[in-house]
Amino acid sequence: MISTVRVALIAITLSFCFSVSRAQQAQTETGAVQLIGFAGLKENTKGRLTVINGSLHFTYSKGYVDVCAASIEDVVTGKDSQRLIGGTFGTVASIAAPYGSGSALPFFRKKVDILTIQYRDADGGLHGAIFTMPRGQADPIKKELLAQGAHTSEPILADLIKNLSDSREEKR
Amino acid sequence: MRTNLRNALAAFVLLTLCFAGHLRAETKQPAKMKASAVEVKMIPSDELTLPPEFRVSLYENLIEQLRKRAVFPSVYRDGDRNAGNAADLITLECTVVKFKKGNETLRQVTMVAGATSMTLRCEFTDKNGNSLLVRDITGKVRFFGGNLKATYDFAKKTAKVAEENFSSASRRS
Repeated sequence: MISTVRVALIAITLSFCFSVSRAQQAQTETGAVQLIGFAGLKENTKGRLTVINGSLHFTYSKGYVDVCAASIEDVVTGKDSQRLIGGTFGTVASIAAPYGSGSALPFFRKKVDILTIQYRDADGGLHGAIFTMPRGQADPIKKELLAQGAHTSEPILADLIKNLSDSREEKR
Repeated sequence: MRTNLRNALAAFVLLTLCFAGHLRAETKQPAKMKASAVEVKMIPSDELTLPPEFRVSLYENLIEQLRKRAVFPSVYRDGDRNAGNAADLITLECTVVKFKKGNETLRQVTMVAGATSMTLRCEFTDKNGNSLLVRDITGKVRFFGGNLKATYDFAKKTAKVAEENFSSASRRS
């Protein structure tokens, strides 16, 4: 009898652990580069960005930064492109490559998403932060932030189209 | 005869020195305005179409450069409640006058075209809202670097303008 209860308890615990891990996997996590904004972080700091427990969580090699979603006044996404071979190496290579072949380097570019947030600290001071991430990753992060209490000045495009089609149907 | 010549030469040198000193005094900049704290306002979004990443980058770079130059002992962010208690607080508000987003690829290939440039009207006001200084400042990126580098250029120039025109009592000149 005792062993049956024990087995049942283990099974319940295991299923709970499994469901928790599934729930965590469901959250969007993406590699991101913090261009500017977080205090104490250098420009172009690479890390991982996720929305967890009602906060935007940025993990980098030396630690992490949390921004409460409720304190975010504006989340905006955008699109841009970046040099594939950038930085000092890219610049030097584009100048020094023989027979002018370096001038072809700027053409090798990757498309990126830009996530811009504006949030208030405990004293009410306005902060801003800009991230770049692989194409298609910014909108899911924005959606999760909005679901957890963040605000935006630009609603997600899909919502905008849905609202537009709804209003058209109402007119008919 | 020789003594007279020497005296005349000495008088000429003295007069030249006096005149040069007078000129230097005339070209000397006017006295700097006193301010011990500055509150940097966010660039308004309803002005000219400025992408949000440029607005945020301008704002953050401005704060960073003003802190780096140490013109003011305290640099407050937009809406900071502690700014209200600061004596000699001035406010820096920037509005977009002109903005042209360039093309990084074009810039690096041609070295002539594709520059990103922006001109912002920077207004320093005192606590009562009186305008202390208004300047149009331009930020540019011509050759290397992403488009956002123009905001860094703008912030550096603005901090320099602030340094030239303001000083705090606690700061050594």
